[in-house]
Amino acid sequence: MKVLLSWLRELVDVKESAQQVAQKMSLRGFAVEGIEAIEDLSAEASATADAVLDFEVTANRPDCMSMVGMAREVAVAYGLPGPRLDHVRGAGPTASEAPRAGDPPAIQIIIDDPQLCPRYVGAVADVQVGPSPSWMQARLQAAGIRPISNIVDVTNYVLLELGHPMHAFDLARLAKAQIRVRPARAGETIKTLDGQTRTLSPDMLVIADGERPVAVAGVMGGAESEVSGTTRTIVLESAYFNPLSVRRTSKKLGLKTEASMRFERGADPAAAATAMARAIALIEEIGAGKARGAVIDEYPGKTAHRIMGLRREKIRGLLGGDVPEPDVTRILGGLGFELKPTSSGWDVTVPTRRVDVTREVDLIEEVARHYGYDRLPVTFPELDVPPQAPDPRIMRARHLRTILAAAGFSEALTFGFISEPAAAAFADAADLVPIANPLSENFAVLRPSVLPGLVDAIAHNRRREQRDIRLFEIGARFSRADGERRAIACAWTGAAAAEHWGGTARPVDFFDMKAVVDRVCDAIGVGIHTRPSDDAWLAPGRRAAVMLDGTRVGAVGQLAPALADSHGLVGSDPVYVAELDLDALEAAAAGRSLRVEPLPRYPSVTRDISILVDDTLAAADIRATITEAAPVFLVRVAEFDRYQGKGVPDGKVSLSLRLTFRSSDRTLTDAEVQGAMDAIMTALKNRHAAIQR
Amino acid sequence: MPDTSPQSAIETLRADFRARLSAASTDRDLKILDDEFLSRKSGSVTALLKQITAVPADQRREFGALVNTLKTDIETALTEARAALTASRPPAGAVDVTLPGREITIGRIHPLMRVRQQVEDIFMRMGYEILEGPEVEDDYHNFEALNMPPDHPARDMQDTLYLAAPIVGGTWGAHRRAIPDAQVRAATLLRTHTSAMQIRYMKTTPPPVRILVPGRVYRRDNLDLSHTPMFQQCEGLVVGEGITLADLKGTFEAMLQQLFGDVKVRLRPSFFPYTEPSAEVDISCQSCGGTGCGTCKHTGWLEILGSGMVHPAVFEAVGYDPEKVTGFAFGIGMERVAMLKYGVDDIRLFYENDLRFLEQFPL
Repeated sequence: MKVLLSWLRELVDVKESAQQVAQKMSLRGFAVEGIEAIEDLSAEASATADAVLDFEVTANRPDCMSMVGMAREVAVAYGLPGPRLDHVRGAGPTASEAPRAGDPPAIQIIIDDPQLCPRYVGAVADVQVGPSPSWMQARLQAAGIRPISNIVDVTNYVLLELGHPMHAFDLARLAKAQIRVRPARAGETIKTLDGQTRTLSPDMLVIADGERPVAVAGVMGGAESEVSGTTRTIVLESAYFNPLSVRRTSKKLGLKTEASMRFERGADPAAAATAMARAIALIEEIGAGKARGAVIDEYPGKTAHRIMGLRREKIRGLLGGDVPEPDVTRILGGLGFELKPTSSGWDVTVPTRRVDVTREVDLIEEVARHYGYDRLPVTFPELDVPPQAPDPRIMRARHLRTILAAAGFSEALTFGFISEPAAAAFADAADLVPIANPLSENFAVLRPSVLPGLVDAIAHNRRREQRDIRLFEIGARFSRADGERRAIACAWTGAAAAEHWGGTARPVDFFDMKAVVDRVCDAIGVGIHTRPSDDAWLAPGRRAAVMLDGTRVGAVGQLAPALADSHGLVGSDPVYVAELDLDALEAAAAGRSLRVEPLPRYPSVTRDISILVDDTLAAADIRATITEAAPVFLVRVAEFDRYQGKGVPDGKVSLSLRLTFRSSDRTLTDAEVQGAMDAIMTALKNRHAAIQR
Repeated sequence: MPDTSPQSAIETLRADFRARLSAASTDRDLKILDDEFLSRKSGSVTALLKQITAVPADQRREFGALVNTLKTDIETALTEARAALTASRPPAGAVDVTLPGREITIGRIHPLMRVRQQVEDIFMRMGYEILEGPEVEDDYHNFEALNMPPDHPARDMQDTLYLAAPIVGGTWGAHRRAIPDAQVRAATLLRTHTSAMQIRYMKTTPPPVRILVPGRVYRRDNLDLSHTPMFQQCEGLVVGEGITLADLKGTFEAMLQQLFGDVKVRLRPSFFPYTEPSAEVDISCQSCGGTGCGTCKHTGWLEILGSGMVHPAVFEAVGYDPEKVTGFAFGIGMERVAMLKYGVDDIRLFYENDLRFLEQFPL
């Protein structure tokens, strides 16, 4: 709401500067978005500077979208009387609200739906259309409204001054001299003042003449009944429309106007008549015309005043301190509330313009707001129950962040929505969750995986001269089948070991990334294994599913080069990625408690074994054979060399393993260990045709 | 007239040796000295001794003794110099300690998470339970129960992203026996604030309540200097008998001073549908110390969070009795905190994940 300081000063006797008023009012609930200094527009003032204060009026305060409304707040804030309406500029002889006896009504007003239009005040005036006086034009312009003609300007002036939207029709263009407030008929159209033809539907309220719609009620007038230079007689409208109905219509038509903004937040039904009287007075005052016949006031949905109790004890109970009673009555009285003392406090009558005040707490807020939050005491809530432990997921995520940072990964945060093509590479199209009203194509679907965003972040860094990049993110991912689930994802490109004078850099490979997966799972407390997978988003031959007790909980591997290209990584080093279902890992780890095992009391024996096997045989299969064939005292199997090349036939691989044996109850004898080794070798020969080297 | 006596020739040679020795710094230098002075064939000491024939007979004995002393002194000096050189030489396997160390690659925790952990820690110390909720929500928890029925104008304040098809939301609260681990109804939108968890928590837990809910929230805002369609929020809620606006003030003073250091805190009336009275909370501008500058738009104050006393309609929606309990709620944006704390002027930096940005925050 743009408030012209000189205009404000006409309504309330505030002497302070624009900056001082802005500061004061920002502590009363009206933040100031800006102060624009302009030339003084008031005739009396000399060449002193005037200013426009742009107040931010919150959605609950439509009554303050007006000069009078803001003046009332300023008056209470400064402890001044006001707002004065009696001697303001342009106020001539006030037209009577009462119908003028004897005059025949020049227009007929019918309200078909009193729910949606509880009040409609109409009047007819004979006019000479021309420009409005310069002072009026200047005030409209200061508030950001373009002057049009004396009649339209008067309606806009009243809108600014009193906050009540009005409209003027050309009587000659109204069929049957009739105003009918009714729902639109299916398929009806109207050309609105902005020149657009709009199709209406029966859930919209219109103002119609005897035949067709002439205005979208509370939103915008029609072009065909618009006041023009040739207009001789006008019908003035000052109505009250149902807020919800105006809001729905405005949304549906995508049409937001000064009028709709006020009606949808809640106009003041009582102001309809006042605004009409004011408009007629202004028209007569500026010589634009004269009212003819009676003012018609159809008011089928009369609003009753709300009366509610306000308890002293509740004021203290909510604010934590006492507000002196004289302050309570001064503040509420100044804002237009009527107070009647009761034993516990007051019975308060709420003015109809205060649509936001429906409960006792609303009154307490009014008191606190103008008493000043800064004058309330400062206390600290008592802790009367034992503190609860935090959600373990939060603490676990912190732990994982530390572990991954220590492993060289920096944390990324990427958006929860991505483009459809980026998502489609990681999930079935049918499993994607599109956003109904996305901001853009780039944010069209919820991410089925954290990886696309992470790979984009890799690409962003690659374009900025970074080659060695490790990133991770912990966050939600979404699918139609499984809903929202939390994931942890890592991406790594460039060097595994950084370049150093003491050795050369080594590029990251599959086993670096797999080690990260192992470490994460270890930190959570679950054991996983990997097996080859066929995910199309990973490179063939370098991709694996991460398995936990037979269930897939993630994937690890090299990002498919074509996919990397599509993320802008053309010609880049390989990108290794991993993603794990954090919810699944945590569920598996739940309830596991950490118990210390006794330290070994007997020495261990290690034996190395080298075998030649088919190079397609998985190391996991060899391990399984060994473990199966060995006695219980085999405690560890570790591959320590894998060799292909000179001396190894084509299609074969030489694999060396180190086996550790240890018993918990005795020192093993050579014979025992040798027996175990023989059993293992026999099993390897039988099952895999392994040849001992 | 120069002294040409044999004695003076000895002293000249001694002085010459001393000067040469002090300039010698390598084994090679010492070897050269050894040869030059002591070599049997061409050494200058040897040469001097040969001059004995030119010395008067009565002085020969003395001369011979002096030259021998010189020879011994030179030998001793060279031996000592060799030993000193050996001692100063690095031992086998010595390294050049001035070369750079082998780098331990270390990552960084995202600045927004860094700030979030700080906020969590502050509230944990105040006895708050910290918990997470689902990111996709339904209209009831995100709006309706928070006193924003359909068509409420305040919904415009939080432009919402809706899902084209409903899905199952994330689980929460599994760690609390009192709360079923999956309270799911089909989610239809991306939560616009973590306040939705207020409702879920109060519906399953009797008062008193003291919680902090951090997490990602989404709004239909285009990316620019100060907006992102996704951001990080921490939402707090305290409910009990006798909780007041004064308690809210005290809590924020404590929290904001722990977060920002020595700042002043002020409350400004505002409007949120789910609180009444409502307040924006400002801290004094640290760039200018409150005198007014570009950072604070010359007001001396910076808006940091929104808050208020829980609206009775919210208590009614969750089955609490607003005549018995009161409470306060607040929401604080991590981006805002991080921008003020670290002097970041473009919010988009937080979501570009540029290592040159991230690596400015120590682990």
